[in-house]
Amino acid sequence: MKIENIKTEFPIFDEKIQNNDLVYLDSANSSQKPKVVADKINEFYTKQFSNVGRSVHYLAVAATNLYENTRSSVQKYINAKDKNEIVFTKGATEALNLVANTLGQKYLNEGDEILITELEHHSNYVPWHFLRKSKNIKINFAEVNDNGDISIEDIEKKITSKTKVIAITHLSNVTGAILPVKEITDLAHSKGIIVVIDGCQGAPHLKLDMQDLDCDFYAISCHKMYGPTGLGVLYGKKKWLEELPPYQGGGGMIREVKKDKISYGDLPNKYEAGTMATAQVIAFDQSIKFMESIGIENIMKHEADLVEYGQELLQKNNSVKLIGSPKNKGGVLSFTLEGVHPHDIATILDEDGVAIRAGHHCCQILHDKLNIPASARASVGIYNTKDDLDKLNDSINNCKKIFNLK
Amino acid sequence: MNLKELYQEIILEHGKNPRNLGKVHEFNKDAKGHNPLCGDNVHVYLKLNGQKIVEDISFEGSGCAISMASASIMTDLIKGKNEHEAKEIVEDFLGMIKENPDLKSEYLKDDEKTKLMCLSGVKQYPMRVKCATLSWHTLTSAMDNSKEITNTES
Repeated sequence: MKIENIKTEFPIFDEKIQNNDLVYLDSANSSQKPKVVADKINEFYTKQFSNVGRSVHYLAVAATNLYENTRSSVQKYINAKDKNEIVFTKGATEALNLVANTLGQKYLNEGDEILITELEHHSNYVPWHFLRKSKNIKINFAEVNDNGDISIEDIEKKITSKTKVIAITHLSNVTGAILPVKEITDLAHSKGIIVVIDGCQGAPHLKLDMQDLDCDFYAISCHKMYGPTGLGVLYGKKKWLEELPPYQGGGGMIREVKKDKISYGDLPNKYEAGTMATAQVIAFDQSIKFMESIGIENIMKHEADLVEYGQELLQKNNSVKLIGSPKNKGGVLSFTLEGVHPHDIATILDEDGVAIRAGHHCCQILHDKLNIPASARASVGIYNTKDDLDKLNDSINNCKKIFNLK
Repeated sequence: MNLKELYQEIILEHGKNPRNLGKVHEFNKDAKGHNPLCGDNVHVYLKLNGQKIVEDISFEGSGCAISMASASIMTDLIKGKNEHEAKEIVEDFLGMIKENPDLKSEYLKDDEKTKLMCLSGVKQYPMRVKCATLSWHTLTSAMDNSKEITNTES
């Protein structure tokens, strides 16, 4: 599939949004869905539906096969060693909560330290904060530098003899910084530290290879990967998923239940309690196939071109101040406009059909550090074009006009 | 067209040069407000005298043009009103932003009503209504001496 014509695969771009063609620049928040994904959800519910992993009738077996096919596709896509290292969750948030909670139950003790960064999304901070409250675990922060980046030197500096876990983002959803996760993992492992990566922004935009990266956990948000909402993936090394306790109890995750004794099921069932987001899992297979048909190298090149173009465009626009100029930057262009609050920017852009996000993007620690209450963020996906970024810039100029800026 | 209604000259002017920004000297009532969706904060200060008249009122905070202009216009016209009048005006304003086509309170002069109606453009932007109402909810908390932070999400 050619990336140049990819917009035609997404039905939403046929719609008029408030009489405008949609310029969708909010993919870091959530991506639009290709027709194949929406169609699969419909097909499953209308022609193939059954619960999975329980009954023995024809539909149940067929649905179970579809469900497990997605697990195999994800395993292949991220090059995990074992299919059972792929756990479905209700989102990346739940995946990170699962890791923090179960490490807290079995592995971490009072006084242990977790190292995160000032770039982290709240979902890779608050779950660790729970452990700070319940187990007296200390949280340290690697500092963001002037480029909006985290240096491996600062990570190294913040590691102490008590550091047990390093939990970091792969790609910042505000500055776009792509962190050197492989180097950080190597460093951490040389000191016996567990590595948890928040891959929400990494997975949709970067090539993933779990065996090469060697991290212990990697959390994925499926709705940012052109897939359904309500679904995440937790990659976890088999030895950890086997050793750690379950996260939630219920049907499907048990082996045997007696009045005085309960034993838990094998992987991955152990972590998939209750009826899962079945239709979403099954449709997510189409997202993976869709991305594979374009090719991650092509996606990366396309988005890198867009970021370069957008950065140049906005840098030339006086009054616009870009946030973060990391050496390796993903498809995120966060900015402020002198004298105009980001919410006013977003409302005015919306009127031109340009959808961006304004606010702190669930990164209050970072915005406090930058000493701004909020920022405006344009983020790209595979369907965006340079024309979209031109429209962004035109709309920013309209914003300046309304606010009487030069 | 809609944008012009939302960002009228008076809103932009109050947003840029908000009146009564700062802390009232010897205030005796205050409250904080917070909008977690956009991170906007506002702190409203009041000085009520023995006759329960708002002798002075001010606010601190940062936010979008709508929220700053709303707080600025609010403090301007609440000054000098008594507590009862102020509460009725708050209710009238919130009712107008929510559903009523116009303002009804007899405590508002015509020119004050005209000024407040400049904020009515926000009705067409449901996500922005909270920007216009945060300072008003916070004023109510201050008058009630509530210790809790006013939160647009609760």
